[in-house]
Amino acid sequence: MGCGGSSQPRYEMSKSEKSLKAALLIQRWYRRYQARLEARRRCTWNIFQSIEYSGEQDQLKLYNFFNDMLTSVEDSPKASFLSENGISEEEENPQIIRDDKLDKLDVSKILVEPTYQGVQLTFPLTAQQLQDMVASLKEDQPIHARYCIQILLEARKLLREKPNVNQATTALAKQITVCGDLHGKLDDLFIIFYKNGLPSKENPYVFNGDFVDRGPHSVEVAMLLFAFFLVYPNEVYLNRGNHEDHIMNLRYGFIREVQMKYGKPNCKQQAQWLIPLFKDVFSLLPLATVIDGKILVAHGGISDKTDLTLLTNLDRRKYKSVLKPPLKDGADEITGDEDDLTDKVNFSEWRQILDVLWSDPKMVDGCQPNLFRGGGSYFGPDISSKVLKKHSLDLLIRSHECKSEGYEYTHNGLVLTVFSASNYYEMGSNRGAYVKLGSDLKPRCIQYMASKSHQKLSMAQRLSIVEESALRDLKEKMATNKTTLKQGFQQFDPNNTGFITLTQWAHVMEEVLELTIPWRTLRNKLIRINDQGMVEYESCMEVELTIGGHEGGPSVTEVLYRNKNSLETIFRAMDKDHSGTITMDEFEEACSLLSKHVGSDISKESVRDMARCIDINKDGYIDFNEFLEAFRLVDTQVNSAELDSNKSKADLKMDSNGTNDMETGTVI
Amino acid sequence: MAAPADEKESAESLLAETQKKISDAFDIFDHESNKTVDVREVGTIIRSLNCCPSEGELHDLLAEMEEEEPTGYIRFDRFLQTMTEVLMARKFKPSPEDQLQKAFEVLDTDKKGYLTVEELTKCMTEEAEPFTQEELEEMLSAAVDPDKGVILYKDYASLMAVDETA
Repeated sequence: MGCGGSSQPRYEMSKSEKSLKAALLIQRWYRRYQARLEARRRCTWNIFQSIEYSGEQDQLKLYNFFNDMLTSVEDSPKASFLSENGISEEEENPQIIRDDKLDKLDVSKILVEPTYQGVQLTFPLTAQQLQDMVASLKEDQPIHARYCIQILLEARKLLREKPNVNQATTALAKQITVCGDLHGKLDDLFIIFYKNGLPSKENPYVFNGDFVDRGPHSVEVAMLLFAFFLVYPNEVYLNRGNHEDHIMNLRYGFIREVQMKYGKPNCKQQAQWLIPLFKDVFSLLPLATVIDGKILVAHGGISDKTDLTLLTNLDRRKYKSVLKPPLKDGADEITGDEDDLTDKVNFSEWRQILDVLWSDPKMVDGCQPNLFRGGGSYFGPDISSKVLKKHSLDLLIRSHECKSEGYEYTHNGLVLTVFSASNYYEMGSNRGAYVKLGSDLKPRCIQYMASKSHQKLSMAQRLSIVEESALRDLKEKMATNKTTLKQGFQQFDPNNTGFITLTQWAHVMEEVLELTIPWRTLRNKLIRINDQGMVEYESCMEVELTIGGHEGGPSVTEVLYRNKNSLETIFRAMDKDHSGTITMDEFEEACSLLSKHVGSDISKESVRDMARCIDINKDGYIDFNEFLEAFRLVDTQVNSAELDSNKSKADLKMDSNGTNDMETGTVI
Repeated sequence: MAAPADEKESAESLLAETQKKISDAFDIFDHESNKTVDVREVGTIIRSLNCCPSEGELHDLLAEMEEEEPTGYIRFDRFLQTMTEVLMARKFKPSPEDQLQKAFEVLDTDKKGYLTVEELTKCMTEEAEPFTQEELEEMLSAAVDPDKGVILYKDYASLMAVDETA
C-alpha cells in the first residue's frame, strides 16, 4: 500500500491493532516455546521407553536364560550335595514349602500379636471389612501375615472354580470398569476407588493384570484386589498379567517386597509361606475376560493364532510360570534351542497363553512371533480385525504398555490400551487411566495423576524432574558400559587426542548401549564439546561404579552392575527356602552362571575377593539383599560444586534399587 | 575474501547440519521408527525447530508435505524437503526476546507492570490466533505468580527465554 507518507500509518496504528499484534507475537512465541518443551518431553519419554525396552531385550534372551538358570539351579551345589548323600531336599530343609503342603497349612498357629495395629479380619469377609481394610491401608498400616495367608487360601479355592476366560456382563449393573497395570501403586488404586467407587454388585470391575512388581505396595494392591474378589466373585474379574508370574517376581521386585515386609528375622516363616502361596494363586488367575460377548479384555493382546475356544479349554494351572512351560510326558530338560523347545513342550497350547499375556500391537500388518522377548507377538491392524471378527467381537482392551496419557487407541479404534499406574517412570512422567463402559459398551477413558503435593506444577517444572531422572538412568547405563564405550571412542581417535566428532560419538553410544534415542539432541546434557564442536569423550565417563567401595577391577564390576537384575533373579531362584541368604558356593555359582550367560569373564577369585571385602559372608551364608544394595555409582567429576549433588543423586538411585525408597521405581 | 571452494564447503556443511537437525527433530516423533509421523504432530515438530509460523502459514506448510491422498501421516522425505527450504531461507524466524517483553507491555495498557489473569485470558483467547482452553491453562500455570496471583510479565518473558537455551 501507501505511496506518500510511508511511515505515517505505522504511528497511527490504532490501539486495538497494536494489541492484536502484541497478542499474535506472544501466541507465536508461546506456541514455539511449548513445542520445544514437548519435543524435550518426547525425547525423555524415548529414553525411558528405550531403556525399558532394552531391559526387555535382555528378557528376550530371558527364555534361554531362565531355562539355563533353572536347570543349573536344580543341580546347584546344595541340591547335588544333598542327593549324593541320599537325603531328599525336603527332609533336609523343612523350610522349603511345596505346593501340596499349602493345603495342610494351619493358620491358627500364626498369632496376631496384641501390638498389631492393622485391620482385623474374620472370614468370610464382609463389605464392611473391605471398607475397614481400605481405611487401614490409607493409614499406611500393614496387613498381618495371617490375614494375607487367609485371603490367599480363600482366593485359591475360589479361583480354581473360574474358567480361563471370564464372561462379564453389564446387564445387571448397567456398567463396568476396566483397569490396567497397577504395578504395586496403591495410590493409583485409591484414586480409582475415590473417583469411581469401591467394587460392589452395582459397580463391577475388571482388573487387567500386572497388579504387582516395580511399585512399592504390590502386596497391598494384590491383597485388596483378592479381598474384593472374595466378597464379589461375580463382579470383580481378575485377569492374569505377565507379572503374575513367579519368575518375573524374582526379578522385578515383588519377592523382594514380600521378603522385606514379612521376612524379618523373627518371623521369616511368614515370607516362606507367602511366596509359594502367591506363586500358586497367580497361576490360578483367569487369562482374559469377555464383556457382553463383545469386548475382549486381556493383558497383552492377541496374535494370529489366538483362539478363544483353545484358550478356554487348556489347563492353565499347569503354567506356574508362563516363561517355563510344562514339559510333555517323557521329555527331559530343554537344552535351549527353539527346535528342541517345539519337541518337548506343547508349543501351540503354550503360545495361546503367551500371546494373550505378552503381546503388543504394532502399526504394520502381520504378526511376528517374538518368542525371545520372553514371549508374545507383535500384532498388526489386520490381525486385530481378523481375530475380533472371527469371535464376533468389537473391541480389544489391553494393557501391558505404559502410555503417556494413560490410554491410547490403535488399529483404527479396534484396540484400546489402558494403563493405570501414573508416574510410572518418574513423578510426572505419565497419567494413569481407567475405562468406563455403560450398557452401550462405548468406552469412556478417565485420566488421573497421583501426586503428593497439591501445587500444580507447570509443564516445564514437571519436565525437568522427569528429564533429570531419565538422564540419571542413562548415566548409569554409560557407567556400566564404560570399558566398551572407551574402546569404541578410541577406534575413532587413533592419535589419542581425546576428541571425536559428534556423529562418531552418537554412533558409538547407539552401538554400545543398544539404545536408539536422539543422542545428538542430548549432547549438552551428557558431554563437553570444545569450541571446534568436537566431543571430549572422557567427559561422558566420569561416573564410577563400586560395589561396597570395593573395585573388583573395572570390567568385573561393570558386568555385575550391568546385570544386577539377572544376578538378583539367580540369587532368588537359588534361595529355595526364601530366607534371603545363600551359601558362598551358590554365590560363586550364580556369578559363573551369569558370566556364561552374558559371555563375559568373571573369575572366581574376583568374586571371592568381592564377597570378602564387603563382608557379606556371615556364618558361611551370604545375605544377597545386602550384596545388591552395595552397588554404587560415584561421580568422579571433581571440578565443580556439582559433586555433592551428583553424589547424592547417585546414592538416591542406589536406594531406588534397594529397599528404602521404592517410590521412584527402577526402570531397568 | 574466502576462496570459492571454502565457501562451497561451508555451505555444504551448513546444509548437512540443517538436515541432521531436521532429521533429529522428526525422529523424536516417529514412534514406529518407520519414517512417518502423525500429521497432527507436525506443527509441534516445525515449531520445535525454532520456527514461528502463524496458524495459516502452518496450514500451507502442511499442505505442501501431504500426500496427494492424505493418509493422516507425513513422510520424512516430504518433511525434509519442505523444512530444508524453510530453514535455509530462514523463514518464520522468531522475533527477538526484547520484542516479547515489549508485546506484554503493550497489553499492559495501565502500565502497572503486571497483567491480571482476566486481562491475559481475554487477550489470548479472543485476539489474533486464539488459544485453546488447554493452551491457556498451561500458560497460566507457569505465568501466574503464586503469591500475588497476577502475571509479572517481565519475569515470565525472561523465564521463557531462559528455558530456551536449557
